[in-house]
Amino acid sequence: MGTRERRLRSNERDLLISELFRSSGADPEKIAIAAVGSFGRGELSPGSDLDIVILHTGSYSQAGLTEIVNAILYPLWDQKIKVDHSVRTRSEVRDALSEDLKVAMGLLDIRLICGSADLVAEVQSSALSTWREDSGKYLPELEKTLEERYERNGELAYLLEPDLKESRGGLRDITALRAMHVSSALTLPMERISQAESVLSTTREALHTVSGRDKDRLLFTEQDKVAAHLGYVDADALMSDVAQAARAVDYLMQMAWHQYHHKGRDGFGRFLKRVRSDVISPGLTVSNREVVIDPTFDLESDPVIGLRAAATAAQLGMRLSFDSLRSYGDALDAGRGALPHPWPREAREYLISLIGAGPAMVEIFEALDQEEIIFHWIPEWRGVRSLPQRNVLHRHTVDRHMVETAVSAAALTREVHRPDLLLFTALFHDIGKGTEEDHSIRGEELIKPLAARIGFNESDIATIQKLIRHHLLLSATATRRDLDDPATISSVAEHISDVGTLELLHALSIADGIATGRAAWSDWKATLVSDLVRRVKLAITDNTITQQPELTAEQISRAETGALSVLIEDRGSVYAIEVVAPDKTGLLSIVSGVLNILRLDVRSARTKTINNVAVMEWIVLPDPNAPDLSQEHLAREISRGFESEGKLAERIQERIDAYAQMPTIPVPAPVVETFLDAATDATIIEVRSHDRPALLFSIGDTVRKCNIDIRSAIVTTLGAEAIDTLYVTEIGGGALTAERADEVTSRIQGSLK
Amino acid sequence: MKLITAILKPFKLDEVKDALQGAGITGMTVSEASGFGRQKGHTEVYRGAEYTVDLVPKVRLEVLVDDADAANIVDVIVKAAGTGSIGDGKVWTTPVDQVVRVRTGERGPDAI
Repeated sequence: MGTRERRLRSNERDLLISELFRSSGADPEKIAIAAVGSFGRGELSPGSDLDIVILHTGSYSQAGLTEIVNAILYPLWDQKIKVDHSVRTRSEVRDALSEDLKVAMGLLDIRLICGSADLVAEVQSSALSTWREDSGKYLPELEKTLEERYERNGELAYLLEPDLKESRGGLRDITALRAMHVSSALTLPMERISQAESVLSTTREALHTVSGRDKDRLLFTEQDKVAAHLGYVDADALMSDVAQAARAVDYLMQMAWHQYHHKGRDGFGRFLKRVRSDVISPGLTVSNREVVIDPTFDLESDPVIGLRAAATAAQLGMRLSFDSLRSYGDALDAGRGALPHPWPREAREYLISLIGAGPAMVEIFEALDQEEIIFHWIPEWRGVRSLPQRNVLHRHTVDRHMVETAVSAAALTREVHRPDLLLFTALFHDIGKGTEEDHSIRGEELIKPLAARIGFNESDIATIQKLIRHHLLLSATATRRDLDDPATISSVAEHISDVGTLELLHALSIADGIATGRAAWSDWKATLVSDLVRRVKLAITDNTITQQPELTAEQISRAETGALSVLIEDRGSVYAIEVVAPDKTGLLSIVSGVLNILRLDVRSARTKTINNVAVMEWIVLPDPNAPDLSQEHLAREISRGFESEGKLAERIQERIDAYAQMPTIPVPAPVVETFLDAATDATIIEVRSHDRPALLFSIGDTVRKCNIDIRSAIVTTLGAEAIDTLYVTEIGGGALTAERADEVTSRIQGSLK
Repeated sequence: MKLITAILKPFKLDEVKDALQGAGITGMTVSEASGFGRQKGHTEVYRGAEYTVDLVPKVRLEVLVDDADAANIVDVIVKAAGTGSIGDGKVWTTPVDQVVRVRTGERGPDAI
């Protein structure tokens, strides 16, 4: 079963039609029969219609023409052969071409069966030239019809019962791609989908054969029979191949439309004489609304560039250039640019930024899969690639389900204190699927080396393992156990014994449920799970909060001098910076502002004030464009900042304005909360926000304007998410009143809009 | 014929399903429901904030039975669904005029 059989079937029909043509007495100089559509391509499945066009010169009388047409068609109908036909002169063909997209596309595959070769050649030439000349009219119309068809028929790769022809990524898309390829507007690497076309055509042919019907929907009940007919181990293996083929087709389709809409055009769709290219960081530019990796970039010097490009594109809401993906993938295949083991910190951060981009990450992740780049970074992903779930609960394959879970998790990052762990776990929570073993248990084992390779520490790996092991615990317990029974609450608390892990598990359960589909998640279930979480939280809450930073003896002795001092330690990809400075209102914003101006991205910070001297420890990631850093230079810049806060603010505003020109993606709104820390008589302000330029400066500056004192601070940036915790008091000491806390909260929220 | 409708605590569904299957019931409809009865929801306090739970999640189970079986099936459901605490739910029966099995067109008790 395959192309050869479909060709033979097509040839048999050609012979039959030619015979009928001869016996009809038609004049082969004045009339011709041509095949169009799949018949035109010589690709006939058992249930395919015979799409034919009867072309004539117009010299026959109506009665004479009817007699010939009837003599050809009636015997076909008598043999129960389904024929889709039209009878046209050349001028009628031209009229139909300009009015009907379907006719125009069908005629691109026109092929002479019998009769006048000149007639068919003329129509073929006219169809192709019209298609090319009028591609500006046809292609937008084609795009609209595709969208409508996708709406009606869903995505082939993920449906339980897909339509092999009409669904997104199906055979009709391949026909559309072929038509786009021969238009003058695009050039497509059609060889990329030859394997996919073979899989889909052969599966359709087998479906027609085993079902004895001409329907193209691969029903659940027929999948086992089709798989057996084609020699697959089981239906899962068949559906995995079908899904993979459909994804390849859809990927090329996305490539085609991006090329059509953006190549050589500006943001308003106007053609550009010269393509604009903006450098955004070393080795990366934006052009044609794509992030492009410089083809001359030395991958060995910065093997993180692939992840940096993916994260940057995702956070900008853009695509990664197809050409860049291909050449980067080729380089990895050739053994160049491999990530070290374990990954450096920035590689992990870029992965988290990519995952945290929400819906914008889906296309990029799909591209990384299609170009097989993801398997160089995460070989474990191959085990779940296009793995079908074949049940009514799930709407996606395992890999896509995990990507969708990460998308849902990105909307929940403000609900947890470790968004990086939430995002990472969401992307890998079902990594254990694909065998008979309990996937939660297998996942718990598989994730350990993976998380270690990516660079998480022991404690984080333990949390990740626990989350994966128990990712179904809350849903299962909430719906099947009595929540009023203390034993139910204890059974959860036994596994999840701290609030931080519980909030992560809660967010993961929600993200997993939403991504699974409406059959698995509803407001009803969400209420039950929330009720369970609330009860477990009450049982395990220990009222501990993040401990304030403690100072070493050396730091205390440096603080006692009361003078500004700066120490820098180079830790490979990051710098550890210690700043000791006389405390003053706005110190945090000044130092963070200076670091921002010097293009040092704050990944974490801990500050503490002792005897009116602040000791600040910063971990910063230098921007690829950052100037060389020295202790003297940084100390000088901080001193300048002390002397002229206004000027510093102006420079930072310029940077913020420059970044504001860049495209952005929708992110969850910042959350600002305040708590009273009875132990230290301070008010805790906790800000959870998507990271952005000078975020810490904005928060510190607002706190300064509120006339309150920052006693200590803990700042953390995880991927693209920031969590800043400030311990503040009134200037003379003492926690803020409830009214003051509300005022400060509202002003910080206002500054983050 | 009777339609038996039961509102149950969600975690009791599996037990009730098993008990019904044990009593010879092979088909039923289950849906998610929310509501409250005499318990009128409840209020919880968490970290100083009060949460009022107005609508409590329940499951709604529907079974079609012959008149003669109705009383027994109601008893089976009540026995399996009970915990003795507030909010266990309710079971009621409704007379049914006609039942048709869509696939075969069978009517009346044959369609149950």
